[in-house]
Amino acid sequence: MIKMTPAVLLIGAPLVFWAATVIVVIIPIATMDVGPSKIWRPWTPEERAGHKLYVENGCSYCHSRYIRVNDWGLGAERIAEPGDYSQEVPAILGTERTGPDLSQEGGEHTDGWHTAHFTNPRYTRPLSLMPAWAFLGRRNIERLTAYVQAQGGTMADERVARQQLWNIQAAAAHRRGGEDGSIEWLHANIPAVWRPMPNPYPATPPALGRGQKIYQDFCLGCHGPMGDGTGPAAQYLDPPPLNFTTLRRHLVEGRYIGGIFYYQIMNGVTGTAMPYFKRELASEKIWDVSNYVALRFLGYTDADTEPFGIDAAYEPVWANPYKPPVVPGKPGPEETPGKERQWE
Amino acid sequence: MRKLAAFFTRPNGSALAFMIAGAIWFVFGTSFGLISAIDLVAPDTFQNFAPATFGRIRPGHVNTVIYGFGFMTLTGCGLYYVPATLRTRLWSEPLGWISFVLLTGVVAAGPVCFASGVSQGREYTEYPWVLDIILLAAVFITIVNLVMTILKRCEKELFVSVWYFTGAFMWFFFLYAIGNVIWSPPAGALPGIVDSPILWYYGHNLVGLLLTPLAVGAAYFVIPRVVNAPIYSYALSIVGFWTLVILYTHIGGHHILQAPIPNWLKTISMIHSVGMTLPVFAVLVNVWMTARGRIGRLVADPAGRLVFAGTVWYLITCVQGPLQSLPVIQRVTHFNNWTIGHSHIAVLGFAGFIALGTLWHVLPLACGRRLWSGKLVNVQFALVLFGLTGFFVVLTIAGLIQGESWNNGFTIYRIIPEIIPYMVIRLASGLFIYAGAWLGLYILFRTLFNGEPLGASPEALVMASGATLAGPDGAGGGGERRSDP
Repeated sequence: MIKMTPAVLLIGAPLVFWAATVIVVIIPIATMDVGPSKIWRPWTPEERAGHKLYVENGCSYCHSRYIRVNDWGLGAERIAEPGDYSQEVPAILGTERTGPDLSQEGGEHTDGWHTAHFTNPRYTRPLSLMPAWAFLGRRNIERLTAYVQAQGGTMADERVARQQLWNIQAAAAHRRGGEDGSIEWLHANIPAVWRPMPNPYPATPPALGRGQKIYQDFCLGCHGPMGDGTGPAAQYLDPPPLNFTTLRRHLVEGRYIGGIFYYQIMNGVTGTAMPYFKRELASEKIWDVSNYVALRFLGYTDADTEPFGIDAAYEPVWANPYKPPVVPGKPGPEETPGKERQWE
Repeated sequence: MRKLAAFFTRPNGSALAFMIAGAIWFVFGTSFGLISAIDLVAPDTFQNFAPATFGRIRPGHVNTVIYGFGFMTLTGCGLYYVPATLRTRLWSEPLGWISFVLLTGVVAAGPVCFASGVSQGREYTEYPWVLDIILLAAVFITIVNLVMTILKRCEKELFVSVWYFTGAFMWFFFLYAIGNVIWSPPAGALPGIVDSPILWYYGHNLVGLLLTPLAVGAAYFVIPRVVNAPIYSYALSIVGFWTLVILYTHIGGHHILQAPIPNWLKTISMIHSVGMTLPVFAVLVNVWMTARGRIGRLVADPAGRLVFAGTVWYLITCVQGPLQSLPVIQRVTHFNNWTIGHSHIAVLGFAGFIALGTLWHVLPLACGRRLWSGKLVNVQFALVLFGLTGFFVVLTIAGLIQGESWNNGFTIYRIIPEIIPYMVIRLASGLFIYAGAWLGLYILFRTLFNGEPLGASPEALVMASGATLAGPDGAGGGGERRSDP
């Protein structure tokens, strides 16, 4: 029988501990230097300062910085590799995803979106649980933004460059022609196949109810409760968020096109703060919120109008009761209050 | 001056200081936890008040409950029971006090640093480098004190609690230095991905090689005393002790199983994680068989009830742990609130319950006054048990919702509304734990100032309590079970 003597305890216990430590600490230190990965690049001083803020303010308690094999369902374009973290001190990977993974966040949004989001995350993401970082001050928020925009290495750089390329055009269009200029520029950049596409699904009260919920959870922060682009985030964004009501002056095919709403929500408007929502919202939800925006702020939706092909199996018998706007360049016809109450 | 010297050399003085600090840190630590929980329900509650920001308050919570509440309470108990079971006094009370002052300083300074945005940021190693050094000095001083106490002992055999308590400090000293990459200030981290295996070697063993041996050692002290029986098996004690340090030390990698680290490290961490069932069941069988036939007496005793519940939490934690280390299960449980539930039953359920139970068992012996109110201890037990159970259940559910949803392609943002109700119930459950912490502080001070004196001098009580455990062969193993007095 082994007896526990002071010698066994005081010498043996540390020895066993060190034997295991050599295996799981010393050998990794000696062998795990893999060098930079293909997408790795060094950080600028600004990004380094942002990393310091990220570390000191405990961002890693809610954000991970590696995409896993089983994250493919979230649309991951790249699984993390060891060399992505080359020379980082400390390379905090994170253990929790109360917020999203940030390892490929760079270029997903414009700098303006991040400024609004860091100031108060609910400005751009009404349901967010993230703390407001306004107290860090404008300068530190710039540093954090630079850091986040660098997440993803050279892959992020490509996305950031795309954002900047389109931002120049989008901002210039707004400076040239204000809200009308923005809408003209947007309409000019819609793929032709989407332009004549009406919303194929009926604007029934349940569908509009879903649309309203989606609008509140996703759109409110920028486009505002009146749809006039004056949400709390708007002050940080260039170009500013779209004012839906001005669409009355910019009819396409004599109406507001459901397909254009759908395309912009699904795909986002790169170069502006409008993100793509194709990962967040299923197809039905995007059509629903399109119907909601069109009806709520413009009084007309082209839902279920020609060409509508074969109705989907679930659709109730529904005929579009809304009159298309008639006079281009002037406000559309007054809607009757009764119609609006149908779904409110 | 002489009065002061007398104060710092009084028997059990430093042990009591550690226990009082532990109870105070329990209140502070849960206060920080409460603020964190509010942040996760209504994030604009403390808007623009930087210290209450989630990212700054959470390290305050985690570090204060681990180093302040768990570590300091169990250390206070150990500084009593180690000399007691060795039938001697702590080798140096002043050294105990120095260690106490250093450690208290670290635990107090930590949250102030974090609140003002000074943090190393790596989970559980957030203390700045200067505090790291002070903490290591405190641990080193205690090691010296323990070794000298062992060498100067009057009892030949080392009781099993002494192994665990001494082991915990010896392991923790190296563990803390390596895990905090102490040779590389100010970041306290190695460059690149290799930092992660080191961080989680530390993060896991903070529980595995610090809180676990301290809590197991304490349970080995309290349970035989409450049921008045010797330890069931010396052999199981030996097996439990050595397999703990052999297996536990390897398993940190399971925290980063899905991260880009070498496969061999992942394999080692999984094998040893599953192997962890060995020390866990060796310990649980040993302490439960010690109480066999007398469980009624164990749970009738307010302190014994807390310790017994702690061993049950240990079982639940350590059934979950090995399962979570398996990739197929971790695919669902990782990155979400499941893990938060698990970590709370490990630290508060297992280590915390045993720390509280041992505190209420040892406090009267150390201060020479009867526990002020066993009933209030039972109320504390009920509050913390109810709170933690609710906490654990809702976070586990929330975690499953998150994990399954993500695997089905839902984004994080879409799932936030799904978990909000659970965040609210978690906050409500936390309030029960918080109330338990305040009640503990109240019981502690009423005992110290209003407890009925036990009559004997503290020193005599030390000897008496140690003697209870000295079975026929000294270490308690293999002897006949003594009949009830």
